[in-house]
Amino acid sequence: MQHSNQQRCEDPSMSDYGIRMETLFKECNQACGTKSLLPCGSNDGIKIPNQENCQMGDTSQTGKLQDWDPSIMLENLSFLEDKIHQIRGLLHLIANKKGQQLGQPDEIITQEKQLITANLTSIIVQLISTAGSLLPSVKLAASNTSPSVGQHGQIPGITFPSGLGPSSSSIQPQHDIRDKISDQSNQIDLTNMCEMEQNHMEEHELKDEEDGDEGENLPPGSFEILQLEKEEILAPHTHFCTICGKGFKRDANLRMHMRGHGDEYKTPEALAKPNKESESEPKLIKRYSCPYPGCKRNKDHKKFQPLKTILCVKNHYKRTHCDKSYICSRCHTKKFSVMADLKTHEKHCGKDKWLCSCGTTFSRKDKLFGHIALFQGHTPAIPLDESKAPVGQADMEITENNNNNNNNKGGSINLSFGSNASSCENGIQNMMNVKGITDDPISYLSSLNFETCNFGEFNDFPRPPFEDTTKGSFPFLMSESFNYSPKCGGESCPNNLL
Amino acid sequence: MFSESVLRLLTEDLLVRVLEKLGSDADRKSWRLVCKEFLRIESLTRRKVRILRIEFLLGLLQTYCNIETLDLSVCPRIDDGAVSVMLSHGSLNWTKGLRRLVLCRATGLGYRGLGQLIRACPLLEAVDVSHCWVFGDREAAALSYATRLKELKMDKCLGVTDVGLASIAVGCSNLKSLSLKWCFEISNLGIDLLCKKCLDLEILDISYLKLTSESLKSIASLSKLEMLVMVGCSFVDDVGLRFLEKGCPHLKAIDVSRCDFVSSSALTSLVSGRSSLLQIDARYCFLELSFPLVECLKNLQNLTVIRIDAVQVSDLALQIIGTSCKSLLEIGLSKCIGVTNMGIMQLVSGCGKLKILNLTCCRFITDVAISAIAESCPHLICLMLESCDMVTEKSFYDLGSRCLLLEELDLTECSGINDRALKYLSRCSGLLTLKLGLCTNISDVGLAYIGCNFPKLAEIDLYRCVCIGDDGLAALASGCKELIKLNVSYCNRITDRGMEYISYLGELSELEMRGLVNITGMGISKVAVNCRRLADLDLKHCEKIGDPGCWAIAFYAHNLRQINLSYCAVSDVVLYLLMGKLKRLQEVKLVNVSEATVRGLELGLRASCGRIKKVKLQTSLSLLLSSEILDMLHLRGCKIRWD
Repeated sequence: MQHSNQQRCEDPSMSDYGIRMETLFKECNQACGTKSLLPCGSNDGIKIPNQENCQMGDTSQTGKLQDWDPSIMLENLSFLEDKIHQIRGLLHLIANKKGQQLGQPDEIITQEKQLITANLTSIIVQLISTAGSLLPSVKLAASNTSPSVGQHGQIPGITFPSGLGPSSSSIQPQHDIRDKISDQSNQIDLTNMCEMEQNHMEEHELKDEEDGDEGENLPPGSFEILQLEKEEILAPHTHFCTICGKGFKRDANLRMHMRGHGDEYKTPEALAKPNKESESEPKLIKRYSCPYPGCKRNKDHKKFQPLKTILCVKNHYKRTHCDKSYICSRCHTKKFSVMADLKTHEKHCGKDKWLCSCGTTFSRKDKLFGHIALFQGHTPAIPLDESKAPVGQADMEITENNNNNNNNKGGSINLSFGSNASSCENGIQNMMNVKGITDDPISYLSSLNFETCNFGEFNDFPRPPFEDTTKGSFPFLMSESFNYSPKCGGESCPNNLL
Repeated sequence: MFSESVLRLLTEDLLVRVLEKLGSDADRKSWRLVCKEFLRIESLTRRKVRILRIEFLLGLLQTYCNIETLDLSVCPRIDDGAVSVMLSHGSLNWTKGLRRLVLCRATGLGYRGLGQLIRACPLLEAVDVSHCWVFGDREAAALSYATRLKELKMDKCLGVTDVGLASIAVGCSNLKSLSLKWCFEISNLGIDLLCKKCLDLEILDISYLKLTSESLKSIASLSKLEMLVMVGCSFVDDVGLRFLEKGCPHLKAIDVSRCDFVSSSALTSLVSGRSSLLQIDARYCFLELSFPLVECLKNLQNLTVIRIDAVQVSDLALQIIGTSCKSLLEIGLSKCIGVTNMGIMQLVSGCGKLKILNLTCCRFITDVAISAIAESCPHLICLMLESCDMVTEKSFYDLGSRCLLLEELDLTECSGINDRALKYLSRCSGLLTLKLGLCTNISDVGLAYIGCNFPKLAEIDLYRCVCIGDDGLAALASGCKELIKLNVSYCNRITDRGMEYISYLGELSELEMRGLVNITGMGISKVAVNCRRLADLDLKHCEKIGDPGCWAIAFYAHNLRQINLSYCAVSDVVLYLLMGKLKRLQEVKLVNVSEATVRGLELGLRASCGRIKKVKLQTSLSLLLSSEILDMLHLRGCKIRWD
């Protein structure tokens, strides 16, 4: 898992998504790499709630953002300025305190590092998300019709982190990964948790198919249509830690994570599911719409087919409307937009044993046959491995050698094969190279006696083995055979046609 | 000089026209021996060559350069090396016009050789690679180079899978006839692709394949299909037949024999409304000939062949068939239950054109039925009455006086047959095949009638006709000069003298003489020396033959292709000689050869390795023989059967 995560981040061939991520990494790493102490880390920690508040106000406004209000834009800009100022202050602190680092005990250093990292992270997240909210939402505002505004309030399935407005999370992927990576050195538990989470997620994703609701036939109005924005869909995490800003896919995991932030989060109440009682209330069935205009899964489409779950939305959106940025590391050809799809593919990649003459491989025979049926002139290619050579060359040679060592059989094989063995060998030598055979037919002829119509070969047939191996009756027999042989030669060629 | 002038009058084209009139091989052989000009004409006009020995392969191919058919099925040692020599030596004119290639049982051949051969023959239209059990997908891919291929027979190519079939389907899209019998690895997928690519298929044989009804769905889309043979497709059920019902508008023949899950009603609905149907085979398929099926047979006026072996029939059903299917040429009722005299009488009364009638094991029919057959079916060519015990000589009086076109008569185990019955048949002078196995009442007198009256006889089976002796054989041999196949197994009275008479049969190719305990080496030597065409010899339990007899066989019976020496007394040395010297030998049965040791057997097998394609040995030897020899035999395409 860890490996694949890194791979995902490090793969330079990834789309702009990845590249953006990389640049951010650098920043982040620089920030973290300074590794200085932050004496007023606690102050910063206190500040954060303020920022949150700040953002809370912000979120309420991001909903309106879609109406493209210049005053809100200005507000946002000033907020950004604030944040940049904060970062600057932090970095200054780090720079100043660099020298004092030496004398500190390790524990304190790591603690402070954590604090700084957490602060930096949350600020940057807020920064970026606010900045990001400025641009894309304009487009969305243009494409989305009024109902979407109302829907924002109705996404109880996803509890958004307080600091992040629904439409302001476009850059969250970066946040997530950067977080993970930067944490790798000092927050191993967290990383592990993250990874665990992803495992869960993948299993889940594998089971859930976006098209699972194909046959569903709900009467219109019997369900509530929710439409998530593109940014929400692409955001990998939906639950964020209010303290350090780390994102999670599940609230349960977030609650587990919170325990690390203090004893108050360890109480059973804090660990319990927050709004259990609300479940008892009758709920309207929820169905989801894809935000992509013109998509069949978009609620404005004539034959709108709603998606069943948020997961379906996510997978659908990524598969259909996003670049396929995950490339299989084995075959370097197959691309996927959903990580889980890549993983599934990688499990089978390389095992594609069904090969077409055009070079395409298939994991399943019926797929290959479907392909061949479709395309003119394509045939299944037969793998080149020589598991069963028609005339076993090696075996033949070995047996021959063995037999030469063994007197009893050795003679006979030289004989009985006489012609055969050499032709066989020859054939084998040439098998790889068909030309070779045609170029050098003499070797066959000498052995096979092709041209001779008489049975001359009878004469030299059984002699040597018997002379070699057996004494007594055999030589006598041989002489008999000689007497007969002229008769054998008497047959004429045309006789042999039936 | 006179002859020369006569020949000068005969121009080449006239000679060709004369030659065309010569039917038999023997006549053609005589023609070849007349003079060089005749030989030349013969070689130029010859269209078919069947090679018996690899030694002559190259020479014959050079001589007969206008051949259309090359048959290598009985030629030993056809392997990749041989093919490359064939193609690299001398002129390749013979490949130019070659249209048909018979490589049946060429188990030594691999995909390289096959590929070379196929590529060398640009006009190839038909290939037979049946019983090449070692063939797999590579060989199939090699076959697919023959893009003009119209006819392909690949029965029992055990290694061919869907992939191989797909190669053929794509490469040979003009296929009209394809037989995949016993290619067990082929599944629905392959058949589906075949039906998508080879739209011209007219004849398809998918017997014994593990296909389901899904395949029939694909097959139903073949609009030109005329004949579908699906014997023993035990996974196909009525659903499959329903698919066929809607497709294949030109279907003329269907064979659903031994399809255990095909019901009479499904066949009924398939058959009904297809007045173009000519042939129905439903042997060992369902228990009873249901009334609806019989009813729908009424509409099949063109039906020529119906075989419903082992089905319970009623007189009424037979009557309906007889009165409505007037064009019937062949009826197969072998082992049918409920066949009575009345049923047969009503059946044949309408079938005046009938040529073949199989009543094997219809035990309740008597002379009355046979008389009715003789009365109604003057064109009868083949009549099979095995185990019809109640038939007596009286029947043959009628048959012999009315069915003068009879060519094949199977009277095995008809205990009512005697010498007089054979006398009555004397007017059936065209008789080619006569089976009298287990007819214990036949004596030398009967054989004398046979010898006198059936000059064209090619095959006679006298299995366990214990009353016949040497004199009978003398009469037979003097009269039936054309005899090719003779079975005298367990006719214990035959001695070496009888063997001498048999040796006069110059055309004899198959001789089965199991359990002839009085025959010694002398007798068999005469046969070996004189019957030059002898290809198949069964000497099982001929215990007195021993070394001298086998010796003679080894040195004289050059054309021997199969031999059974089980329970014979043959020593190591002679066995070795036999196996080594008989260059055409391809199948040997050596179960319990007394006096032969394991080493002797091994030597013998080594001596024949490369040529031999099938060996039968007792199971106990499987551990005693060295694994090398077993492997080697396997690699050279030889199959070992353990008894």
